[in-house]
Amino acid sequence: MIDRNLLRNTDWILIGILLLNSILGVAFIYSTSHYLPGNYYVKQIFWMVFSMIALFLFLCVDYSTLVTYSFYLYLVLIGVLGGILIFGTPIAGAKSWFKFPFFNVQPSEIAKIMIILLLANVFAKFRKNYLSMGKGLLSVSIIAVPAFLVALQPDLGTALSYIPILLGALFLAGLNKKTIIGILICGLLLGIFGWNIGLKDYQKKRLTALISPSQDPLGSGYHILQSKIAIGSGGFLGKGFRKGTQSQLRFLPARHTDFVFSVVGEEFGFIGVVLILLSYSFLIWRLFQSIGHARDRTGVYIIFMVAIMIAFQFLINLMMIIGLFPIAGIPLPLFSYGGSSLLTTYLGIALVLNVKMRRFANI
Amino acid sequence: MENNKAYEDLFLVQKRSKKIFIFIQVLSVFLLLNFWKIQVLDHKKYWEKSEANRTRKIVLLAQRGLIKDRGGTILADNKASFKVSIIRENCEDYDKSCRKISRLLMIEEDVLKERIKRYESFPVFKPIVIKENLSFEEVAVIEARKLEFPELFLQAEPKRFYPFGNLAAHALGYIQELSGEEIKNGLYKQRRLGDLIGKTGVEKVYESTLVGTDGESLEIVDSMGRSKGEIAKREPEKGQNIILTLDYALQEKAEEVLEGREGAVVMMDPQTGEILALASYPTFDPNKFIDRFTPEEWLDLINSSEFPLENRTVRGQYAPGSIFKLVIDLGALELGLVDEETVFTCKGEIEIYNEPFKCWIEKGHGEMNLIQGIRNSCNIYHYQVAKKMGIDEISRYAKMLGFGARTGIDLPGEKAGLVPNPQWKREVRKERWQPGETISVGIGQGPLMVTPLQVALYTSIIANRGRKVTPHLLNSQSLAGKRLFSEKDAVDIELSTFETVIQGMWEVVNKGGTGWAANVKGFDICGKTGSTQLVSTEKDKEKKVEEEEEEEEAKTHSWFTGFAPRDNPKIVVTVIIEYGGMGGATAAPIARKLFNSYRRKYD
Repeated sequence: MIDRNLLRNTDWILIGILLLNSILGVAFIYSTSHYLPGNYYVKQIFWMVFSMIALFLFLCVDYSTLVTYSFYLYLVLIGVLGGILIFGTPIAGAKSWFKFPFFNVQPSEIAKIMIILLLANVFAKFRKNYLSMGKGLLSVSIIAVPAFLVALQPDLGTALSYIPILLGALFLAGLNKKTIIGILICGLLLGIFGWNIGLKDYQKKRLTALISPSQDPLGSGYHILQSKIAIGSGGFLGKGFRKGTQSQLRFLPARHTDFVFSVVGEEFGFIGVVLILLSYSFLIWRLFQSIGHARDRTGVYIIFMVAIMIAFQFLINLMMIIGLFPIAGIPLPLFSYGGSSLLTTYLGIALVLNVKMRRFANI
Repeated sequence: MENNKAYEDLFLVQKRSKKIFIFIQVLSVFLLLNFWKIQVLDHKKYWEKSEANRTRKIVLLAQRGLIKDRGGTILADNKASFKVSIIRENCEDYDKSCRKISRLLMIEEDVLKERIKRYESFPVFKPIVIKENLSFEEVAVIEARKLEFPELFLQAEPKRFYPFGNLAAHALGYIQELSGEEIKNGLYKQRRLGDLIGKTGVEKVYESTLVGTDGESLEIVDSMGRSKGEIAKREPEKGQNIILTLDYALQEKAEEVLEGREGAVVMMDPQTGEILALASYPTFDPNKFIDRFTPEEWLDLINSSEFPLENRTVRGQYAPGSIFKLVIDLGALELGLVDEETVFTCKGEIEIYNEPFKCWIEKGHGEMNLIQGIRNSCNIYHYQVAKKMGIDEISRYAKMLGFGARTGIDLPGEKAGLVPNPQWKREVRKERWQPGETISVGIGQGPLMVTPLQVALYTSIIANRGRKVTPHLLNSQSLAGKRLFSEKDAVDIELSTFETVIQGMWEVVNKGGTGWAANVKGFDICGKTGSTQLVSTEKDKEKKVEEEEEEEEAKTHSWFTGFAPRDNPKIVVTVIIEYGGMGGATAAPIARKLFNSYRRKYD
């Protein structure tokens, strides 16, 4: 099934950087949780192995086949997201997971892959220079349904993380001024509506905490403040591996998940931040650079949306931990503990590799 | 494939994707600059915050030095105690916090807030003590609910404890919390808010010796405030103990004999100036002052008409009455104005400077010499001695014998008393000296004011035949007692003069004199009684109006002062009983008990 050509055209560099970042992630998960029960870093290694296998399996199927069946995959996704709301067991107050004996799966993460495939399908044959009303509304509703279901879990952060993918796709399809104004107005209305009806009090507090975190150091501003203290106290060279007092003494919240990069800042200082940032930038650059190797519009859309997905989660997470963005529960791809997020990133990369290795059309 | 071309024209989408990539890169650079600001430019600020997060400084309170009597009995001890403070910085909501704490610690909310308000101007991270002497149950409750009350700070402290309650309370003094003003005016630089300091007595005078050096422990704590081990520690250094000259048994006896009265007792070793007992009555329990919340007893103490807080031995100023007669006898003998054989006749009344003066016995004492004059404490005899001497000489000898100046005892707030003379009257009262006043002063009346301790010192000068010592409470053997109680110059009076007066004093007690009631068989006591009449000056006349309805007896303060044995004196006893009546009737029998106690123990 996999012929030699395909193997030769596999982007091993991309897989390498993917692995490198995942392993660094495991190291930081170890640093922040080795004193906790639960063996988080072992679980993360298990997920890495599992995700890598999933990645190679994903390469076996031509992406055009996946895109062809994307609508059915999407229907399954909607079914699962609906089902989880009815049958799911809440963990930490949210029905976001399917519980299995040794691990939990978060379908809202993996949903990103289905969304990318279906959007790629929608835009595969779109040849106009600018986005049409029909395609625009269609793609908005493709995002809106799962986003709504995820927001009900409630997991607003993950629901919002679909938006960059949608906006990316729309941008690629071409936005004229009229459309941009339309999107802005819609966004504003949605924002006002959401603030007054949709947002819970704690979510509002997170937003106001952005403006003045020290006003209420033990409330909403606490997380941001402790994160900034961790990063700032790391200084230029850092406090050393496993020597970050903010994380080791548990002042830093969610330090092996959403705030894992604060630990990078604390234990390895500005130098560590620069190095990790460079390695992410290299990954993102490699993804964008792959766009040129896609054989068709479908491929371009897929690679672009995967790149957007990873890049924006990365940027938003970093903005979040230094108080430039509300704490929205967006994990750092590859670094934050969490199997579903890791698997989703791997599957996204798998799609990119898939497009790249099949760049030569078999005519 | 739908189209004929093998490859689509992807130029436009690829161009657009590059724009996004550039946007992402710009964002990344922007983020990197933010990290630079936090990690490099603001590093110091965040480093300090992380250090403050992870470390906790705990003050290890030093024990105060003990205070012991000359025999080693502990008069001021320490016992373990717990106190709880509030750190306002850690309150999520101050009012809510106060409400919850008031329920937890059973303190009324108003009282609690009032208490905290006193220290409002201090930084919010400073702990303010809100309750102390916690019971074990309270300690357990606070400890158990630590997470719920991050603003509460529990601390063990050694606490002052006076095992004998009010014994020697005036000499020991008491300790109380350092007030906000006292911290601000910088007198107690090493001390902190909520520390206890000696407020009076020996506790105050030897504060710097008694107070130890507090230790400090630096701990690592996690986000829940749980200790993760110590990184630095400085052990507290206990304050130095001090040994007093007081004798526990004599002090106890002195307070026992005063019980139920208002008055004072001083017992002193005339040769060294060591105070063996220093009692003032009514008294108080210094244990009550240590509590930071003012109890009702405290208000009662301050407002009491009997002034139990006042140390009458050094702060009570009384007219000396007849015990002052020895001053003019000594002076007149020394000046050669009289001698042992000078005879005056007492008819019960005499007119001097056109003013009538009375003796205390209406029918009079008849003819007598100086020694008999002392023995009978005859006023008429001494009026004539005073007249011969004149006020300037009287006041010179009074000052020579220790009146009108502080004795220099190691107690705070000692009063100097008053020895009047014409110059003083001109300057202070803006009046001319009346010759009749000289006569009054001569028998210890008039504006003359002395403290019981001055009387004891004066007695010891006579007992020492002229050698003057400084009365003191700190035992010179005490390690801390490096302070020297210098011997002052000897009083310029001949030995024979003293012997004459001492003969008179001996007869007062041993030959049917006014002080016969102080007699202890086989213990050659020499003494002098005094009964002060509050009649002679205009100022006192006002008082008289108020007291007119009371009996004459009730208005006199009763004095006795004396020493024993006559040769090689060992002990001076001075007693004053306010409104006690005649000296011979009230003070002398009390003095007798004290001489007896001394003799049983030391002789």
